[in-house]
Amino acid sequence: MRNYQNMVFSTAMRLLTNQSEAEDVTQEVFLRAYERFGELQGSPTVGGWLKTVATNLSLNHLSRYRSRWTFFSEIFTGDPDADGEPEMEFADESNAGEELEARDRHAVVEQALQKLPTAQRVPLVLYHLEGLRYEEIAGKLGVSLGKVKTDISRGREALRKKLRLTLELENNLTGNA
Amino acid sequence: MNPDYNKQLEAAISRELKALPELTAPAVLANRVMATLEQRARVPWYRRSWQTWPVAMQAASLVVLLALFGGLCLGGWQLSQTGTATLALHRVGEWFSGLSMIGNTFNVLVSAAVLVVKKLGTGVIATCLVAAGIGYAMCVGLGTVYFRLAFAKR
Repeated sequence: MRNYQNMVFSTAMRLLTNQSEAEDVTQEVFLRAYERFGELQGSPTVGGWLKTVATNLSLNHLSRYRSRWTFFSEIFTGDPDADGEPEMEFADESNAGEELEARDRHAVVEQALQKLPTAQRVPLVLYHLEGLRYEEIAGKLGVSLGKVKTDISRGREALRKKLRLTLELENNLTGNA
Repeated sequence: MNPDYNKQLEAAISRELKALPELTAPAVLANRVMATLEQRARVPWYRRSWQTWPVAMQAASLVVLLALFGGLCLGGWQLSQTGTATLALHRVGEWFSGLSMIGNTFNVLVSAAVLVVKKLGTGVIATCLVAAGIGYAMCVGLGTVYFRLAFAKR
């Protein structure tokens, strides 16, 4: 259990962004694993199994307990960046080293990810961290393929702004102009 | 949007997210899981879910349930062959006679509602429906505002 608890907890935490809920989901994952101890013991796919169960339980949790609150919390949400918080000074690849002396890079990315609206964060995490395809995400979340693509695209853009990621292409365009 | 830009953005975000280390689970988590497992282990087998019963007990319970079902079916069939069944059905019918009274009351209420609708006319009813819709929308709007105020990030 100790080998996998951080992985399972990370998966739940990045989807739920709530410590106690993530702990509950992690606990449930390991209780289910214990029920299948015979099958999982020594299996090379145990990590994948745990991750899949953690993802599914987290998504169930989100749809079961949060739907009514999501309605209220996101109904008037416009631009997720317009939350009055200052953008994080970091991630310009050229001077990242200087910034990192003052701040933990990973902590900042983690924080930026957790501040994304659920509708953007969940598909983004499923795509980039869980390695699911757009179609799989649409199936899991019960939404259209177009919505998944739009939400992921908006999530990436919001993260880029929050982290002030500078892309080469932008630099080139700016340089040419 | 420029497809090259999208590709670069996807790659950049992917790089940032995949570089994230695993979060550290609370130290008490393993203890919590072990405590729950121990607690479950202390529960006697007959109070756990049927799937976790010993195989012999599962088989025995299945046989008992099948025997009970068979006995009920046989008993019901034998009862239907005797005159006492008709008497029993008549008594059951008497118990439910109150239901017919509820049905009659419901019919009267529906008739009264139809009469009121005819008298008032569609204009008044439409106005009432619109007013109810506006009231509902106001409730949702105010509820949302209160929620946003109460849970606003500070």
